[in-house]
Amino acid sequence: MPIEVILPKVDMDMDDGIITEWKVAPGDRVRQGQILFDIETNKSVMEVESPASGVIRDLAPITGEPVAVGTVVGWIDADAEAGASSAAAAERTRTTSPSAAKADIDHPTSSPEPAASVEAASVAPSDSIRATPLARRAARMLDVNLADVAGSGPAGRIVEKDVAAHAGPAPKSAVASADRLVPFNPVRRIVAQRLAESARSAPHFFVSAHIEMSGLQAALRHPGGQQSPDRARPSMTVALAYLASRVLALHPLLNASIEGEAVRLHPGVNIGVAIDDQGDLFVPVLRDASTHTLYDLAREFARLRAAVRARQIVPDDMRGGTFTISNLGMYGVDAFTAIINPPESAILAIGRTTDTPVGRDGRVVLRPMATFTLSSDHRIVDGVTAARFIADLREAIEHPEGLS
Amino acid sequence: MPTELVVPEAGTRELSYAEAIREGLAQAMQADERVFLFGEDVGVYGGAFGVSGDLFHKFGPERVIDTPISELGIAGAAVGAAITGMKPVLELQFSDFVTLAMEQIVNQAAKIHFMFGGKATVPMVVRLPGGSGTGAAAQHSQSLEAWFAHVPGLKVVQPSTPHDAKGLLLAAIDDPNPVLIFEHKLLYKTKGPVPEEAYRVPIGKAAVRRAGRDLTIVGSSIMAIRAVAAAARLAGENIDAEVIDLRSLRPIDLTTIAASVRKTHRLLIVYEGVKIMGIGAEISAMIAESDAFDFLDAPIARLGGADVPLPYNPVLEKAAVPQEDDIVAAARRLVREGRA
Repeated sequence: MPIEVILPKVDMDMDDGIITEWKVAPGDRVRQGQILFDIETNKSVMEVESPASGVIRDLAPITGEPVAVGTVVGWIDADAEAGASSAAAAERTRTTSPSAAKADIDHPTSSPEPAASVEAASVAPSDSIRATPLARRAARMLDVNLADVAGSGPAGRIVEKDVAAHAGPAPKSAVASADRLVPFNPVRRIVAQRLAESARSAPHFFVSAHIEMSGLQAALRHPGGQQSPDRARPSMTVALAYLASRVLALHPLLNASIEGEAVRLHPGVNIGVAIDDQGDLFVPVLRDASTHTLYDLAREFARLRAAVRARQIVPDDMRGGTFTISNLGMYGVDAFTAIINPPESAILAIGRTTDTPVGRDGRVVLRPMATFTLSSDHRIVDGVTAARFIADLREAIEHPEGLS
Repeated sequence: MPTELVVPEAGTRELSYAEAIREGLAQAMQADERVFLFGEDVGVYGGAFGVSGDLFHKFGPERVIDTPISELGIAGAAVGAAITGMKPVLELQFSDFVTLAMEQIVNQAAKIHFMFGGKATVPMVVRLPGGSGTGAAAQHSQSLEAWFAHVPGLKVVQPSTPHDAKGLLLAAIDDPNPVLIFEHKLLYKTKGPVPEEAYRVPIGKAAVRRAGRDLTIVGSSIMAIRAVAAAARLAGENIDAEVIDLRSLRPIDLTTIAASVRKTHRLLIVYEGVKIMGIGAEISAMIAESDAFDFLDAPIARLGGADVPLPYNPVLEKAAVPQEDDIVAAARRLVREGRA
């Protein structure tokens, strides 16, 4: 069903406008609301949106001459799906102004000729349906096209029960029964298998600390040590990986893995950083983190993250982790506990930094605080071991001197 | 089944609305020597509507003070007393006379706390007998509460039951800044359960007087009473109305109204003040702006006072404000026909 594209009245005192550019060509498929063309009035240049979704045909030529408001300057063959309501609107348009509309149909590219029904045509088609807000909501939820529903309210207004009746006797169960079975993708399959194994076999326990972040924030704002050649500022996550790697070097049992009835202590600190990409979990590894500068780690992390985003991360980049950190602070999480990434012996879960009242020198003051929760494998790590690590980590974060 | 939020407790007796207010005043004055009552004829005469009764004899002329006939003077004295540490309760004989006290209430009492950076508070309570139905004509029958609900810095409450009349009064006396209580002249003699203790009804919290599924009727003061009666009749027609008694106009309990509208999908607002530019317009707009908008299955309907000075003629006076029959008819139209 063809829909008119008219030159709309975009200014109060506008009588005509000049089409300066078509953004689409005949044969193009357009969506409702997509920009079709620019018009120039005596005041400004405005963009005009498509009144419907469909295929463009018969566009008026760009002549540089003013075209009267209401002139049909093109046609859209509306999509069958989107067209039902649009067609109804077009139908009404035609019946309200038979002569003007007919002239346009007979001569779709005819010279400027004001149409009598500017307002009706310029209103988005679905808006011309009379329905209550609840009926519209029900139509959205039940996937009912309101153009197909007969209204029982005043002046044919569609009310909720009309939509429900149209949708069938048990519309709610119809929606509810639409379960979907989505097979695991390869990433999810690995994550599921490894974490289930970890949760089953490693007896997890958790120690938490609220750590003040102002020192680290300041250090990141004013890096005193080595400047990044590309002036990139390391993120909080990278800074925490950096600090954790330094602390881990002093706590070998937290940088270890279990092998049968033995513990393998790793000489290097390889920090895995959990990253989400469109619902998939990746843990790329910052290798030998404790021997690299903060800026080296920032660069390496940027490379790894880009590789994840591009889905070009190679298995080597995700192998050999000895400790993992997971930061959900950017999602507004205050604190959480994580499952250990096997065969590692611990994982650090980081919450958001938020101004929190704390006691300092006998006064209550606001300080940026974050909650760090360490999950440890109790087969390797005891409570005091974990507590000593958290204490050293707190010291490193709260007094990050010599961040470089 | 009607669900009354007010559950009679031990020590609860039947008191009239006027007696409940008097008991609240007496308890507040006993508990705090800074509380005092003043107004025209509140002392020896016991108040134009008998609310203060024997308080003059109980507390003496220092704490129940008869004032000259000057509302501006009374209100100004109340503001001054409140700033300097007293807790005045001021009675205006008819709420209509508040027009004379506007300067002190709107320009002074409401703003002092803010303009002095919170250093001063104005803990005054203004009691205003309002509403029509007594044949007192256009200058003694108005419902002007919406005027004050428009002013930042004022709180406005409108009790419908003896229970709320006492509880809101005591909450108002506790409040560090001005509260206006619009009492209804027709309600002074109505009776209801009132606990003996000095309890508070929180300002800003509405009461659901009756739970229902088909429409929400919102009202306050005598309109809440009429809405409950109308809902009982509507139940006979298989229309299940939920009735919300606002109790406070400012702050207004939009949460309760919106939750109800989400459930019933229809809203009828009933108020005695003049319909246009009134409380109903505000509630209607708040709901239309809220998440509840998507749950409306009919236009929002308002029943309000006629756009005329209130007539003296008793038939016309009745016709000029919403009555129980009007509420029944409007609810029926809204539910059955989807028309406001």
